[in-house]
Amino acid sequence: MSTINRRDFLAATSSMVLPVMLNGFGVKAFARNSALVNSLHEAVAANPDRILVIIYLNGGNDGLNMAIPVEHYSRYHALRSNIAIPENKVLPLGNSKQMGLHPAMPGMQQLYNEGKLAIVHSVSYPNPNLSHIRSTDIYMTGSDANQYASTGWAGRYLDDRFPGYPENYPNDNMKDPLAIQIGHIASTSLLGQRQSMGVVMATPDEFYQLVGTQTNIPVDDLPCCYSGQLIKYVREQQVLSIGYGSQIKRASEAGRNMAGYPENGNELAEQLKIVARLIHGGLQSKIYYVELGGFDLHSGQVDGNDPVNGAHATLLSKLSGAVSAFQQDLKLQGTEDRVIGMTFSDFGRRASSNASKGTDHGIAAPMLVFGTGIKRQNIGTNPDLANDLVPPPSSSGDNNYDIAMQIDFRRVYSDILNNWFGAESSKTDSLLFKSFKNVSLFSDVVETINSGPWGEKSVWSHGRVPDINDLVRINRGHTISINQNIAAKKINVDAGGELYFQGNYKVDTRE
Amino acid sequence: MPYLDPFSQPLSTKNAAHLLRRATFGPTPDEIADFTGLSAAEAVSALISNAALTLSPPPPVVMDEASPVAGQTFTDRPFDSGKSNEYSFYVKYWWIGLMAEQNGKPSVLEKLTAFWQNHFVTTQTVVTDYRLSYQYISLLRKNSLGNFKTLVSEMTKDAAMLIYQNGNQNEKDHPNENYARELQELFTVGQRNFANVPNYTDADVKAAARLLTGWQVENQSAHGSASARTVFNPDRHDTEDKQFSSHYNNTVIKGRAGANAGDEELTGLIDMLTRHPECARFICRKLYRWYVNTDVPQDIENNVIVPLADFFASAENNFALEPVLRKLLSSDIFFHSDNIGSIIKSPAELLVGCMRFFKQPVPDMKKEYVAFKKYVEYIHWRMYPMQLNLLDQPLVFGSLPYYQTGYSVNWINSASIGMRRMFTDQMVYPTEIHPNFKVGIDLVKWVSSLQPNFSDVEGTPPITCEQVFDALSKNLFVHDLFPSQREFLIDKIMMYSAPRKSWEFEFNAYRKNQNQETRGGILWRLEAVMKYMMSMAEFQIF
Repeated sequence: MSTINRRDFLAATSSMVLPVMLNGFGVKAFARNSALVNSLHEAVAANPDRILVIIYLNGGNDGLNMAIPVEHYSRYHALRSNIAIPENKVLPLGNSKQMGLHPAMPGMQQLYNEGKLAIVHSVSYPNPNLSHIRSTDIYMTGSDANQYASTGWAGRYLDDRFPGYPENYPNDNMKDPLAIQIGHIASTSLLGQRQSMGVVMATPDEFYQLVGTQTNIPVDDLPCCYSGQLIKYVREQQVLSIGYGSQIKRASEAGRNMAGYPENGNELAEQLKIVARLIHGGLQSKIYYVELGGFDLHSGQVDGNDPVNGAHATLLSKLSGAVSAFQQDLKLQGTEDRVIGMTFSDFGRRASSNASKGTDHGIAAPMLVFGTGIKRQNIGTNPDLANDLVPPPSSSGDNNYDIAMQIDFRRVYSDILNNWFGAESSKTDSLLFKSFKNVSLFSDVVETINSGPWGEKSVWSHGRVPDINDLVRINRGHTISINQNIAAKKINVDAGGELYFQGNYKVDTRE
Repeated sequence: MPYLDPFSQPLSTKNAAHLLRRATFGPTPDEIADFTGLSAAEAVSALISNAALTLSPPPPVVMDEASPVAGQTFTDRPFDSGKSNEYSFYVKYWWIGLMAEQNGKPSVLEKLTAFWQNHFVTTQTVVTDYRLSYQYISLLRKNSLGNFKTLVSEMTKDAAMLIYQNGNQNEKDHPNENYARELQELFTVGQRNFANVPNYTDADVKAAARLLTGWQVENQSAHGSASARTVFNPDRHDTEDKQFSSHYNNTVIKGRAGANAGDEELTGLIDMLTRHPECARFICRKLYRWYVNTDVPQDIENNVIVPLADFFASAENNFALEPVLRKLLSSDIFFHSDNIGSIIKSPAELLVGCMRFFKQPVPDMKKEYVAFKKYVEYIHWRMYPMQLNLLDQPLVFGSLPYYQTGYSVNWINSASIGMRRMFTDQMVYPTEIHPNFKVGIDLVKWVSSLQPNFSDVEGTPPITCEQVFDALSKNLFVHDLFPSQREFLIDKIMMYSAPRKSWEFEFNAYRKNQNQETRGGILWRLEAVMKYMMSMAEFQIF
């Protein structure tokens, strides 16, 4: 556990004042009618109605048993023979024989085949940290491994888009919570400069019951120092929760679930069901955050003699069943095009299994992105389980390998902020502390992000060598050397970009 | 600022209450009175020596009245797999009951044990064997004031820990690194030092994992087994030398074989871990965050953590815990006004704290086991949705507000603030949890006890509403209320804008004739003001 640079809400500026909320005066009435309701406009957002659903897979998901690189099956099996999914049980994706999903995930298989699921392969960050706390903190704050941030990446976005939170909220422009987390303890992902930008609740009904309709704030006198800051914080939570209680209740009552959800204790399905109902009910919250725990499977990730079943299969089944029901619900509601979802986890797990039919903490694993808004279904490639292992197999005698990173997770965040929410790219760069190359998640066009040979996947935004279906752009300043026949649907070379033929090679395009 | 110097003034009521709130799960009013006027050294000595009074309590009993063995112990009997979930709860309830105990002799024991249980986490959900869960919590209670090195050694070999952290599966051909990592990251040296430099390498994790191979648990959850225990299996132990990094001065721990190999190498490992300069600091910092303030700026690091750690690790002290706790709790920094009210109450400090503060007696576990169970259930099942599940923390790091950015503020969010209010609202309505056992504050009885010569209505004037308010709010908050708050609470809440004198008429009516109507006439005012005070943000800090 680290000790410094933790978010220090106590250092919050002392100029912050509570709204004048006295004598049990109802917040709802205050928010609507008071002269104090400010005229702050929601900062301009290009896509104001869009919603992001974040699914946290708590504990470190074993990506290699979720998205199985069938094309490298023998190496896959050799790395983890005691937990390997039999090749004939893997659920194929599309027409590809290269990759498939865990047999517990038919729902997500269908989503993929409908073009609504993207797999971002081998996601991690440089200098990965294998501590749950620290690595989760890195994913949630979006910091480098050697830097510490006190705010969450999504919280910073909301803080920037909705200035003056929480003092000036709810207001006429934003009556609803900025974000909703289903659960009990606010995630670091949603932390803004001073506090969580989201409302945390188990269910809308419970929330409304709990917060009631009256404030409990007698006066705004505050003692100094730590205790005064804490009292102020608690009061703010009281004010906000009451202010939002009726909005959430209204949306929850107006919204309906139109698809069937898995039962049998699928806690993720329960959460997403609430999210879908609130979206349908018109709640304007921009980000929803849900969680599925139990992925830290150092042992017993598969059942004794049946690698298809076991604790990990149960979790993946919950994930797949919940997400596919949610997507179907959105479709029937007519809200499908406004919502995308993404998963993240603490880290990946070792490519090599351990003797306890489990996997220890590892480096890279896929992120999943789902929704109709995606323009691309694979970012990066299957880890080939030879060149994509660390340490390289040749240099070490033991059988204990990790999967190397292909895609920095912040590149996905960057595409979401830029292309999904429509933030300006300079804004996104500052929210993520620096500029990250895009992954073309929401773009028809794949583009160069570096100079290099055409056949080198890291040259391309989507982390793959383009094929005949790809619209390709060679960006200014990049020289792409060609030492093989190439194919693409169309190739645009920007001014200042260059295709450099190192011999006579064929260029196959559709147009 | 004097920091670790002994706090030299006699304890004011406020200071006595502060010490008791932090060192226990919350004081009774009598305990605050008893401790007022003592020196800090005397008060802390009492809190430490009182630990001996409850160190060996009767073991947990079966609390189901329908059971043929109701009221009898079960941890000493052959394992009953059909009861594993139920009996695990009884172990948990037994411990929560000890936290709420009101024998007039407050002690540091349970709060400190809770610190260690949140430090060396194991969970009943994973361990599943109630005997091992009981052994584990008993081990923590017995060693909580003892020697840290002994505690680490015992925890490493503890059967519940071996199961929870997969040490049980750690063998030479397939080392399982889980425990080896947490031992360093969470239990001893910490992942990084105060300047954010890593304290060990991944190779150190691998070396420690190999060193710890061979420990196993026998009879975990084996139905009918007489006991479950830890054994060392030399055949599963890696006998090669273990090389550690420069973080540990390139220590090599010699590989050993044979029946004592595990213990011998473990001793070497713990010596090495505790020699790491960050180990003592890591533990002292965590104690400071638990007892004093979660915020540790550079100034506190330099002037409190470092010297306390130096003392902890010194040759004379050699990692004894009790002197460290004594020094910390009786220091100037502990009583510094900034640190009073500087933490948000955990659900235990709120719930158990209310049970103690409002003198809700714990039923005798052996004689009144059903009432005892109901009493503890009342507490546990309210703490649980507020995100405190003792002996079943969500992750190996313990409860999130003890490590996550923001620390104790993580207890509070828009939902939990409502649950807290719902609980404190319930406290003002006494509820029968079992025949002849009620939980809740009997406000009328309390206020009547304040009235001199209660029945002499003509001769003795009634207590005023200000007197009543001051009694109800006494020691309820860490700070005095602002005059404006006091006025508001009296006039707007308790009197509901009626003249203050009305109270005296209403109370005298009750003194003259105690019936439903006269009682109701005063009760609603008392309920309103008590509920209101406990729902205030000020009540959530300690």
